[in-house]
Amino acid sequence: MALKIEKTFQVKEPVDKVWSILSDPRKVATSVPGAQITEQVDENTYKGAIRVKVGPSVTDYKGEVQIIRLDPQNHEIEILGKGQDVRGRGSASMKMTGKLRPLDDGGTEVTSISELNVVGILAQMGSRVINEVSNIVFGEFTKNFQALLAQPAAATDPPADPAVKPLRATSLAWKAAKGVFRRDS
Amino acid sequence: MIEKTTPEVGGMGYPIKRKEDSRFIQGKGNYVDDVHLPGMVYGHMVRSPYAHARLKSVNTEKAKELPGVLAIITGEDLAKAGLAWMPTLFFDKQMVLATGKVLFQSQEVAFVVAEDRYTAADAAELVEVEYEELPVLVDPHKATDPDAPILREDREQKSNHIFHWEVGDKAATEKAFQSATVKASVHAVSQRCHPAPLETCGCVADFNKATEKLTIYLTSQAPHAHRTLFALVGGIPEQNIRVISPDIGGGFGNKVPIYPGYVCAVVASLTLGVPVKWIETRSENLQSTGFARDYHMTAEIAADANGKVKALRVKTLADHGAFNAAAQPTKFPAGLFSVCTGSYDFANSFCEVDGVYTNKAPGGIAYRCSFRITEAAYLIERAMDVLASQMKIDPAELRRRNFIQPEQFPYKTPLGWTYDSGNYEGALNKALEMIGYKQLRKEQEEKRKKGELMGIGISSFTEAVGAGPAHSFDIAGIKMFDSAEIRIHPTGKAICRMGTKSQGQGHETTYAQIVAQELGIPASDVIVEEGDTDTAPYGLGTYASRSTPTSGAATAFAARKIRDKAKKIAAHLLECSEADLEWENGKFFVKGASSKSKTIQEIAFAAYTNIPPGLEAGLEAVDYYDPPNLTFPFGTYICVVDIDKGTGEVKVRRFVAVDDCGNVINPMIVEGQIHGGLTEGLAIAFMQLIDYDENGNVQGGTFMDYLVPTAVETPHWETGSTCTPSPHHPFGAKGVGESPNVGSPAAFVNAVVDSLSHLGVKHIDMPITPWKVWNILNEKGVVT
Repeated sequence: MALKIEKTFQVKEPVDKVWSILSDPRKVATSVPGAQITEQVDENTYKGAIRVKVGPSVTDYKGEVQIIRLDPQNHEIEILGKGQDVRGRGSASMKMTGKLRPLDDGGTEVTSISELNVVGILAQMGSRVINEVSNIVFGEFTKNFQALLAQPAAATDPPADPAVKPLRATSLAWKAAKGVFRRDS
Repeated sequence: MIEKTTPEVGGMGYPIKRKEDSRFIQGKGNYVDDVHLPGMVYGHMVRSPYAHARLKSVNTEKAKELPGVLAIITGEDLAKAGLAWMPTLFFDKQMVLATGKVLFQSQEVAFVVAEDRYTAADAAELVEVEYEELPVLVDPHKATDPDAPILREDREQKSNHIFHWEVGDKAATEKAFQSATVKASVHAVSQRCHPAPLETCGCVADFNKATEKLTIYLTSQAPHAHRTLFALVGGIPEQNIRVISPDIGGGFGNKVPIYPGYVCAVVASLTLGVPVKWIETRSENLQSTGFARDYHMTAEIAADANGKVKALRVKTLADHGAFNAAAQPTKFPAGLFSVCTGSYDFANSFCEVDGVYTNKAPGGIAYRCSFRITEAAYLIERAMDVLASQMKIDPAELRRRNFIQPEQFPYKTPLGWTYDSGNYEGALNKALEMIGYKQLRKEQEEKRKKGELMGIGISSFTEAVGAGPAHSFDIAGIKMFDSAEIRIHPTGKAICRMGTKSQGQGHETTYAQIVAQELGIPASDVIVEEGDTDTAPYGLGTYASRSTPTSGAATAFAARKIRDKAKKIAAHLLECSEADLEWENGKFFVKGASSKSKTIQEIAFAAYTNIPPGLEAGLEAVDYYDPPNLTFPFGTYICVVDIDKGTGEVKVRRFVAVDDCGNVINPMIVEGQIHGGLTEGLAIAFMQLIDYDENGNVQGGTFMDYLVPTAVETPHWETGSTCTPSPHHPFGAKGVGESPNVGSPAAFVNAVVDSLSHLGVKHIDMPITPWKVWNILNEKGVVT
């Protein structure tokens, strides 16, 4: 199941500060609910994990995140993430393009285009559920990302031993379900 | 016409209440999942999340450590016993548990056995399977592309093409097309759907190590055939296998194949020496067991200027999924699809079908039809409407001009079938009259002027049921005769056992009525038993509307054998010669002296107490019946729809179904069958599709996505009948259970297309969802 999600949001912080975080997958990962960077393989490649729980279905993806394009001039980054569920329940891959645009008021506009491809049990739930789940995940990401920006520069470094906060499972399923029914009814 | 018995006897034609219903409505049915045996343990299947992937490793260590887990069977384990693969019912083989590769999402990978169901399910979660994803083939039209991934590495032929099949006179058909004044064509998809019986599939396998007897309680529509297949494939002596199909909660063809879960439960029970139960979840049923249809069809009709049809050309692509697990007679790769000339007098026809593999669940089974008849009936009825619309001839009139006429029967079709009897115009006229056709057309014209959308759809289908003549029909080589055994007890009551197996058809009532009709023993005094291979005579089971045409006929013939013996006993009791006796209403009487008579009950008592010299004791008979031909029920269905221009919703305003299934055993049961079949037809036309995304993920694998109609969606059905008996059946019956599912999809679709035809719409593929209709309305600029 392939999905394309395009989101735009604005932050108060100047473009250079936002770029310092967006261009570092280790920092970005701390804002993604349930995600974790476990190891840096080389300059552009990281190993990581993400846990997604939708209702009774738990998927623990483990895989690699790779920066395939980094353009500091234009503040654009392209990241490719690929993972397989550790118990063989499926796989997922995501290509995310992030773009920053300085705003007149000194803030920054963040645009992200994500192309998500899900295979396996999770994908059976259909696009309406995956869409809703993605929306919720992205909402949480935006909130976390903004909180991260509000912190002083040093604090944005990822902790040495990151305590992973798993994606809030039950509430996620419930929110997604509500989203689905709201739209269908 | 059949002579009626008294109401007390309740022979043919009486709408007596179903004998089985008293236990069903009290929750006292006994289904496979109701079977509880001492020491019974439970199996759960580990399934593939991928549609196509190489299996790199299956690690069962963690799962085995879970307390309560007794065994885990993998494909490699089965391979050691030569059981990793099993034959399908159609010259192919399929994996029981995957080795090497997985070929569809939800394919069986490992079988976990534990002390209870929950532990088995939990342990299945702990089985770690490592896969390497492979390119996925979803679109059957791309199956034979040069760059298509080859799915079946086990086959010698390195291609996804399974078979090419053709029938008819190609040259003559081409010629007819070349000289034709009018040509009409339609491309129609009979989409992948699933019977989704209320009860999913399952079994309890019980191997007794002391007696070496294997008893399998099985959701089986064909228990005897399944016993033989277990013996042939598993190498277990057949006398040591007993298959019991208890009450079955709907089959619709889904319970004809043998599934990997059954085999795994048997292997587990043989290994552990305890009973092993395996019951599918709803999603497992929808995602892995026999789907139906998935025929991508093109029909072309050649006609003259008056709309008289000359030739029919059909080209079809059949998507069979990962394994060709079609359940159909081995002579017919596309089943009875070649009845696609339908109710019409085509001089020439040519039909070809190609089957291909894709990364989808294996099948296609005959969902409430005789092996691809629904596809055929849908195609020809759609094509006739396209021709009518193109020529601006009323669709009822076009059908009338082309029907095979009553005097043409027995009628040989250009594709090789011999129809037994029919009066197609009779059924059409009755349906037109019941629905008030002329008035409706007027109303439609007026509504169109006002911009309102209303459509009328007709389907004048011909079914072919009752497989079959043994010379042409078999399952895996076993011929499709069927059987009945009747035993009359000393007190004149009876027990019948059959080779068929009811899944809700009401056999316990209808077979009893046949006995009542033939012997005069009240239907209430007759017990009907099916499904136990240790007690019932051998038979091929129930599907393809074959029970009445085959076992029903066998029941009549067994009863007649009993009557022959009863006559000898009556002659002895009445001290006359057999030649002096006549039979009427359950008794023999002396010609010209009707007071001198013996009832069947008196005769039965004498069969055990006062046996004539030289005659065997007892009063019983068995009959194995091989029908000389199929039977060909038919009918006309008319549907009226209104379209909501705001939402695209189709509202079925009226639906008239006129069926002709020959002589009727129980009109109430026939009506119930028609209601059920029409409701399933409605679901296929408007709601149901087992869809796959580009990665082979099932998109119709739960009841959230695969919709079953409830009372809310189901319209009021108006039924009627005509009666054209089958000339070759002992009591002129034809079979009816599947007609409504075969005939109705075209009526629904024709009605919707008719409602939009003035906007230039020629065809809409099923399921016709509100979203699909709304998009068309939007495109045509008529959304309000």
